[in-house]
Amino acid sequence: MAATVLENPLREGMRLERTAEPCVVVILGASGDLTKRKLMPALFRLAQARLIPAEFAVVGAARTAMETDAFRAQMRDSVAEFSDEQEIDTQVWESFAQKLYYVTLDISTPADFKGLGALLEKVDREHGAQGNRLFYLSTAPQLFAEAVKQLGVAGLTKSRGWVRVIVEKPFGSDLESARELNRRLHEHLEESQIYRIDHYLGKETVQNLLVFRFANGIYEPLWNRQYIDHVQITNAETVGVEGRGGYYESAGVVRDMIQNHVFQLLSLIAMEPPASLDAEAVRDEKIKALTSARAFTAERVRADCVRGQYGAGAVGGETVVGYCEEPGVAKDSTTETFAALVMYFDNWRWSGVPFFIRSGKRLAKRVTEIAIRFKDAPHQLFGREMMDQVAANQLIIRIQPDEGITLRFAAKVPGQVTRVRDVNMDFRYGSSFGVQLAEAYERLLLDCMLGDPTLYARTDMTERGWEIVMPIIEEWARTTGGVTFPNYEAGTWGPEASDELIERTSRRWRRP
Amino acid sequence: MMETQSKSNDDAGRVGGVDVAGLERQLASRWRETAAEEVGGKSGVTRVCVANLIVYASAAEARPELDKLLEEVAAQTPTRVILLLADRGGAPRLDASVSTRCRPALRGRRQLCGEQITIEAGGGVIGSVASAVEPLLVPDIAAFLWWKDIPNGEDKLFSRLVEMVERVVIDSAAFDRPREDLSRVASLVASRGEEMRLSDLNWGRLTSWRSLVANFWDVPDYREHLDALDRVEIEYEPSALAPKDVAAQALLAVGWLASRLGWQPSGRRVEDEDGLRVGLASGGREIELALRASGELGVGAIRQVAFRAGAAEFRAGFGAGGATVETSAKIGDAPIVGRVVAYEAKSEGQRLSRELSILARDEVYERAVAAASRLIATNAAGGI
Repeated sequence: MAATVLENPLREGMRLERTAEPCVVVILGASGDLTKRKLMPALFRLAQARLIPAEFAVVGAARTAMETDAFRAQMRDSVAEFSDEQEIDTQVWESFAQKLYYVTLDISTPADFKGLGALLEKVDREHGAQGNRLFYLSTAPQLFAEAVKQLGVAGLTKSRGWVRVIVEKPFGSDLESARELNRRLHEHLEESQIYRIDHYLGKETVQNLLVFRFANGIYEPLWNRQYIDHVQITNAETVGVEGRGGYYESAGVVRDMIQNHVFQLLSLIAMEPPASLDAEAVRDEKIKALTSARAFTAERVRADCVRGQYGAGAVGGETVVGYCEEPGVAKDSTTETFAALVMYFDNWRWSGVPFFIRSGKRLAKRVTEIAIRFKDAPHQLFGREMMDQVAANQLIIRIQPDEGITLRFAAKVPGQVTRVRDVNMDFRYGSSFGVQLAEAYERLLLDCMLGDPTLYARTDMTERGWEIVMPIIEEWARTTGGVTFPNYEAGTWGPEASDELIERTSRRWRRP
Repeated sequence: MMETQSKSNDDAGRVGGVDVAGLERQLASRWRETAAEEVGGKSGVTRVCVANLIVYASAAEARPELDKLLEEVAAQTPTRVILLLADRGGAPRLDASVSTRCRPALRGRRQLCGEQITIEAGGGVIGSVASAVEPLLVPDIAAFLWWKDIPNGEDKLFSRLVEMVERVVIDSAAFDRPREDLSRVASLVASRGEEMRLSDLNWGRLTSWRSLVANFWDVPDYREHLDALDRVEIEYEPSALAPKDVAAQALLAVGWLASRLGWQPSGRRVEDEDGLRVGLASGGREIELALRASGELGVGAIRQVAFRAGAAEFRAGFGAGGATVETSAKIGDAPIVGRVVAYEAKSEGQRLSRELSILARDEVYERAVAAASRLIATNAAGGI
């Protein structure tokens, strides 16, 4: 894409952000919720921000029989409901809607893909999309491989322009299925065509991790075992399974959150500086970090991993049922809705530094944050009576909500006697930049159209994530380890064993 | 736009000098009062400052409009504003006052507040008032000067303030002699070089159009037509300040195209009731440039741009009502590809705030101004 920009002398020095090349976006599974809630509002906003050109179209494809006009009407309602647009101008919408098409398509029917191919040729011609195609797999996960196979058989994985495929999560349900899925995708696609999406990476604050770590000179000297006592990553949700009990029963929090989202955050914190911002350079360093993660043996799973399942309780003042009372969930389910674990990276930077991770549903507060807890000052000049309200320095990186960074340090309380207490130095996106943060899907869709895979997961990253968690999944499937569920009340911070896990190292979970 | 509350303090400094320490004390006191009031309520306040903004304006400036604009800026970019109101023809005077400006934060969180120091100077005091401004700048954060007048390199106050700031913001839409004033800006840029980084709010208004135009040739299949343009037409609303002159925004647009595409005057020039038409040359090829005023008086904004390269036509222009922009690309007999997008109707406060996020030198702008200035200078020989 950079080549195109350079070739256009009028593009140089333009303050507006990057503009995608012409293309047709094909959403497979377009009748689903993701298209309505996220994809179409994101595409509409990108079009309004002129980040995608006029030479653009969207083809929705799904098994549901529907005419293009009905699809357009449905998408208008979705954009009105789920985008932040105050009011959608009729002319503007009509212009956008003229670029939307729908085709009924059964993933298992080769003829339907031929029909899709014919429609793409027509759309391409009418909208000048230059043969560039982005296929978004928004189908059920078990159909990912079949969909790509059918695209390949129908000749749609090749074009006179570029062809890219975005694969939604979950990427496999274990290491074996992830490898199998990768193998089957690679039968029809080059790795450079595959964009495995993890919407966490589209969040502004996650991207800021790279800037924060590598654009500032002051942190790098401290970012290692010499100065950091431990790291805590909290990924807490207040919601339950929200009608997805059936899916969640076969997943659990380790598969659903830790193996993908949390490991992405973890790798950005633990990685070495990349040689450049080139996608492969960044992804090489991320996988290097995860490769040095100490393996979980069955013994380590018992010692360093805690699981939990919520019972009935109250969240934000509202009484909620326990996990086993949720629709689609077995009454005697042993699926974990909470997990806490300790990870170590056996490398020079992090040797001996514990990374405490916790993630769960129906916890006390919705928050995702990374807390870097620095070591105490080597010699304490101020006596205990002066330091009664002082903890160690901490750097808190809040991913959501209320995105920002806080540095906690000690300061003297004004007065005739010396008393010391903690104060916070706060940076909040909302305060310093009076702009609304872009939705993660906008950034990720645009990146894919621009051919930038930096914020997408590479084959080795997805497989390494599974490699790390497989011993946990297998050990927990083999035995309950004496745990009886439910073992934490909805609206709390998880089971007591989670506190014990960290407290036995003389540390405590932060209250986010 | 979020609602903004202003709190003013009428305490004033004295003629003969601004009591900088006193102003800072007043501000600190103002902050304590504001915090106490709010904590007594519920939310509390957060004092935020990410930039210094020095605003130079004539004392005759309409204050309510200026205050509203600065409130919009504060809502986007929390700043310490130092408003310098100059009464150049008036009696010598120097008064200063402070105020805080808060906006409610989202979801009932602490209010976000910025602050303003207003300095009113008259007569001979103006030459030395810069010395009162410098100690009021918050250290370690960027400083900007919004010069709400035609920049003049000979003016002592302008020169002194330029030395204090990272970037100077002007607005060429306010030029009452666009050709002459733009040429002065070009001379200023050329003479100051790296010493002065310049922003032009009018260039910001043009950005949206430039992007739409550039978009045409981002498409690989259209790219060849950019090197084969034979006619360019720019339609603009006449400026209320200079109704008979070509609007500054149109001059900037021509300067931009000429600098990017290497256009030079070819000597052909016609000016009549249909507007101005000049011949430009590029690589042995002649391009007809037509500049045409239409519609009611305004700030001189562009209304439509059209490009022709043989059988290929590209057009971007306001739709009916002016809330949308329509674009179209027609290549011979191929289907017309176009779209309608909402016009980026930014307020002036939003535009100024946008400028405060840019620190780097805008060389594309500087080259555009220089090219426009060259074409203006060769007016008689086929320039604009």
